[in-house]
Amino acid sequence: MKRSPFVRLFNRPLTSMEKMLLGIIILYIAIVTIKSPQFFSLSTFFDLFRSGSGFLILALGALIVFISGGIDVSFAAIAIVSGYSSVLLSIALEIDNLLFIVFVSIVIGVLLGSINALLIYFYNLPTLIVTLGTASVFHGAMAILLGMKTFTRTDVPKSMLDFGSAQLFSFEVDGARVGLTVMAPVVVAVIVITWFLLYRTRIGRSVFAVGSNAESASRIGMSILFTRLFVYTYVGGLSGLVGIIYFSNLAYINPAAFVGTELPVIAAVVIGGTKLSGGEGTIFGTILGVLLWQLFQNTLIRLGFTASFNDLFFGAALVAILGFIYYRQRQANKRALVFSTN
Amino acid sequence: MISTPLLIAKNLSISFGGIQALRGVNLEIGRGEILCLAGENGSGKSTFTKIVSGVYTPDSGELIYDGESVSWGRPRDAGAAGIQVIYQDLSLFGHLSVAENIAINRTLHDGHLLVSRKKMHEIAAAQLARVGIDLPLDAPISTLSMANRQVVAICRALSMDARLLFMDEPTTTLTALEVDRLLKIVLELKRDGLSIVFISHKLDEVFTVADRITIFRNGAHVGDFPAAELDELSLGRHMTGRDVTYQRYHRAQVDEAPVISVQNLSRSGHYKDVSFSVRPGDIMGLTGLLGSGRTEIALSLFGLNQPDSGTIAIGGSPVKITSPWQAMKHGIALLPEDRQVQGLFVNQSVAVNASATTLDRILSKFGTLSASKEAVLADQVVEAMGVNNKTTSTLVSNLSGGNQQKVVIGKWLFRSPAVFILDSPTIGIDIGAKAEIYDQIHRLAQDGMAVIFISDEPEEIVANCNLVLVMHDGAIVESYSEERVSEPGFKDELIRIISDPDSDVTNAKTEGSNA
Amino acid sequence: MINTVRKMLGRDREFMVLVATTLVVTAILYVLLGDRLFSLGGVQSMSIQVSEFGFLALAMGLAILTGGIDLSIVAAAGLAGVMASLVMSGLIIPVTDDNQGMLFVLGIVVALVTGLITGLLNGIIIAKLSVPPILATLGTGILFQGIGMALTSGNSVSIKVVAFSQIATLAIGPAPLVFVLLAITFVIVGFILKKTRFGRRVYLFGENEVALRFSGDRSERTIILTYALIGLLVGLAAIVIIARANSMRVGFGQSYLLQAILVVVLAGFNPFGGRGRIISLAFALVLLQVLSTSMTAFEVSPYAKNLVWGGMLLLVMALIHFVRKGRKVGAKPQDFSGGTTPPTGSFPALRSARVKTSSMGVRS
Repeated sequence: MKRSPFVRLFNRPLTSMEKMLLGIIILYIAIVTIKSPQFFSLSTFFDLFRSGSGFLILALGALIVFISGGIDVSFAAIAIVSGYSSVLLSIALEIDNLLFIVFVSIVIGVLLGSINALLIYFYNLPTLIVTLGTASVFHGAMAILLGMKTFTRTDVPKSMLDFGSAQLFSFEVDGARVGLTVMAPVVVAVIVITWFLLYRTRIGRSVFAVGSNAESASRIGMSILFTRLFVYTYVGGLSGLVGIIYFSNLAYINPAAFVGTELPVIAAVVIGGTKLSGGEGTIFGTILGVLLWQLFQNTLIRLGFTASFNDLFFGAALVAILGFIYYRQRQANKRALVFSTN
Repeated sequence: MISTPLLIAKNLSISFGGIQALRGVNLEIGRGEILCLAGENGSGKSTFTKIVSGVYTPDSGELIYDGESVSWGRPRDAGAAGIQVIYQDLSLFGHLSVAENIAINRTLHDGHLLVSRKKMHEIAAAQLARVGIDLPLDAPISTLSMANRQVVAICRALSMDARLLFMDEPTTTLTALEVDRLLKIVLELKRDGLSIVFISHKLDEVFTVADRITIFRNGAHVGDFPAAELDELSLGRHMTGRDVTYQRYHRAQVDEAPVISVQNLSRSGHYKDVSFSVRPGDIMGLTGLLGSGRTEIALSLFGLNQPDSGTIAIGGSPVKITSPWQAMKHGIALLPEDRQVQGLFVNQSVAVNASATTLDRILSKFGTLSASKEAVLADQVVEAMGVNNKTTSTLVSNLSGGNQQKVVIGKWLFRSPAVFILDSPTIGIDIGAKAEIYDQIHRLAQDGMAVIFISDEPEEIVANCNLVLVMHDGAIVESYSEERVSEPGFKDELIRIISDPDSDVTNAKTEGSNA
Repeated sequence: MINTVRKMLGRDREFMVLVATTLVVTAILYVLLGDRLFSLGGVQSMSIQVSEFGFLALAMGLAILTGGIDLSIVAAAGLAGVMASLVMSGLIIPVTDDNQGMLFVLGIVVALVTGLITGLLNGIIIAKLSVPPILATLGTGILFQGIGMALTSGNSVSIKVVAFSQIATLAIGPAPLVFVLLAITFVIVGFILKKTRFGRRVYLFGENEVALRFSGDRSERTIILTYALIGLLVGLAAIVIIARANSMRVGFGQSYLLQAILVVVLAGFNPFGGRGRIISLAFALVLLQVLSTSMTAFEVSPYAKNLVWGGMLLLVMALIHFVRKGRKVGAKPQDFSGGTTPPTGSFPALRSARVKTSSMGVRS
């Protein structure tokens, strides 16, 4: 049997969910292209990268939490808190250096993530409720300690503005400049690092093992605490990175923004075939889920719908896909006489 | 081989919350010895295992392992020293591959930060070769049979250079052939110098290869016996401290019209062409190994496993049962296999559990739930079933296994089902409580209930049933009438056919061709 | 007799702690704020505010009792509010002097029916497709909000039926109408849960869905009915919201989701289902509202308020964790263990010791 490039690279066949998503996405792109042919271009592709970079990085973080058997809704708050704190620090210290800003933001994100991990580990409570609580605590504490001042373009550190507008390369197409944002290599790097951590390191395999069966993992001597710390600090770090990417892209800093992004991010991960029960989930599926969300966000307008219809279409697709995934599982469980669902 | 024992336990004691779980246990395990640790639930055999494997620290006493006094800080230390435990649930990771499941302990222990697929495959292949079994290394565990999962668990333990291997009830889910394979592996490991401890609560096939059988009772070590000296009766006596004999059941009803009859019932992949009928007062034994189709049929009768074809008739008229609710309407009750998950609301009171199936019987005249009626009902259930704890506000989680099971039976009692299906009603229940539950079942049948009794313990079938069906691979391979059940050699024949149904199938075929 | 009382107190220590906390906090705030908060007008305005949120809290409480959670309640209330506002906005049916009464009734019916439909949809997806409640309601939440957005393009829809806003201002004696409505709803839901077969099944479903099915119950029906009831409550919340604001905009009341979960946890509901009392929920609601109003009186910013809510949520969960841990020495750990644990020996103490050695995270 001939092995496809995908199988050879990742040593697994595509999951059925990935195949289905690929099908939906290709079909959707075909429809949009027929309706408006200029859609199918390099510039659209580059735009997707630009607008979707932060979203995808957060989704990879959310994926890891799902694989470990939890669900995190605090990463959007962490992104804003660490990003905003870091920017304030750089302004206060007059250190206009992108690396410094990113570093500080990631460190703050890691710290906040470790708070999540400790609370979840010691109180043994639903991760959703814990992270819902920490999200408001983090955001509220920032508002009280640092204020809620917004910064317009003139006040934003210049290194961030450069980062936001920098392009890897660009060229002229029909009189318009088209370029690939520098976010692209950042995103690719995060994908590769996440893949490497999950599939090639011991701690990454513990994430799968703990998510698959926490009791067994603890019996063979895996540290549940250490695994949870890794998961939530990694998500925290990624969120810190996204905070800076987000502000840099907008060239406008608003600490009240971004709240509520966590739900579509989680939705995208779930669409990618990730299970709530832990141990299951793929990076490729997550990328496809994010792509579907990005397409709906950016291209419905080409089909004649205003932006007001984004949530309607995405919500309907989400409910339909969820229904499909879990109905199939229900049928399988019925056959296998499995009665407990979670 | 050195003659000093591998493990010496001296005077081990431990208590939890005021309950003495182990009382001064002394035990030696020799090098290359196969030991069976037998005892009832709560006799201390699993507590002992957990102390030896570093899960618990004993309150007093000493462990000498390989000539040195040891005190494990955590299970990992015991594991590193070569003490491995295979729990009954096998502790595998369903979403991970065979190779990774085998190698995960080793890689964890070696402490490398990176994992290499190649290395994992090497470890897995080496251990599989050692037990002489070939498995697809990349397949997820969830796609494997129970027997092969057990092989994976054994390989995982071996990969840690195990010297002392505990196996908790390894044979419960295996067919006779698979048990043979397991015993072969075990003898092979013994030849390599490995010490193996089987943990069991009943007479088990593994007794045949054991050098010694050690019995625990009430947290104390009662004695050691060679396998040849023990039979069910003496084992029961040693485990409980008294003679336990079960009353045999004889049907006294005269009504011959079947309450339930099943014709050519089939469900692809589960069972095929099953027919039987049960009269009032019958206790029909349905036996066979796990996966032989017995539970699958029970669930079909209870509306939780739709058959593909065939008919079910209640009182002579065919019915279609698509949900437990409909089954209940037709007078069918089921005592499920998994008491904790399927049978009980463990964090609710006895009263709430007892009334769960009969909420319509505890209504006031306004149609609301009546606390006083519920209390009366609960008292009746507790009384009728002989639950030891008479306080019906007690949480079920605080009852012993036997009393919990009485509550599960009791919750169906006041629906007065015509057909009562009992799926493995005495799993994890002490011998004393077993006898009481048997008595109760006999009484229900004498009063005219049709009972289907599922069990894989021949003694239990013999004591309780006046009709017996033996299943294998989804088919009924043998059916015993009342006369055959009362023949003297019945039990031995039943034991033979349950543990080796394949030979019976071939026998039956040759017999058929002769005739 | 004394024993019964003692037993009741013993079993309901969490409830007593809650009642005591509510009284003490209220007393302290009374000393600090006096008439600013506790004048007749002050209490009346508090009771109007609590009415809007109280229905949503009750809805969340029901979802959590079944072992689920409903992330869609705010979006569903938004959609119900938008639908009702559209009916009464004159945009679809012109508002005349003659049809005001009819539109008034129609608006209420539309809000309730919309709420009911959102609940039924959730219930069917959860019961018939077996989608976990978290994910199902996450999806429908986005969908409901999306429908609202598509209908209104994010604009506020104002109500032209003059009498409608009176719902929020009318009073029965000193008690505002909406508060009376909330109180009656609490009593009815409390009665249903405690005194009817359906209510009992809700608890049993939350405790162990599988065992309920094996007890011959049509558990799918139970869950669909529960979410339908949640939908009705959401519809009631929508009526109060649009009556107070006299208009509706998609995205209103986002912070209610956190508060609703907070108040349910505060009331001692088991976040894994099967335990919780409506009377506790009422007390927790009062406590939350008194705190909220006081913070407004102290001019605390909405962000700081959120900090307090989130902090309280974590604190209460920690407290409950320690209370249960302290009391349940030697008892089953099942309350807070996520996965199924295979039964071992019959010593309860052994089980808790076992869990200690493998304290693990919990699936939410």
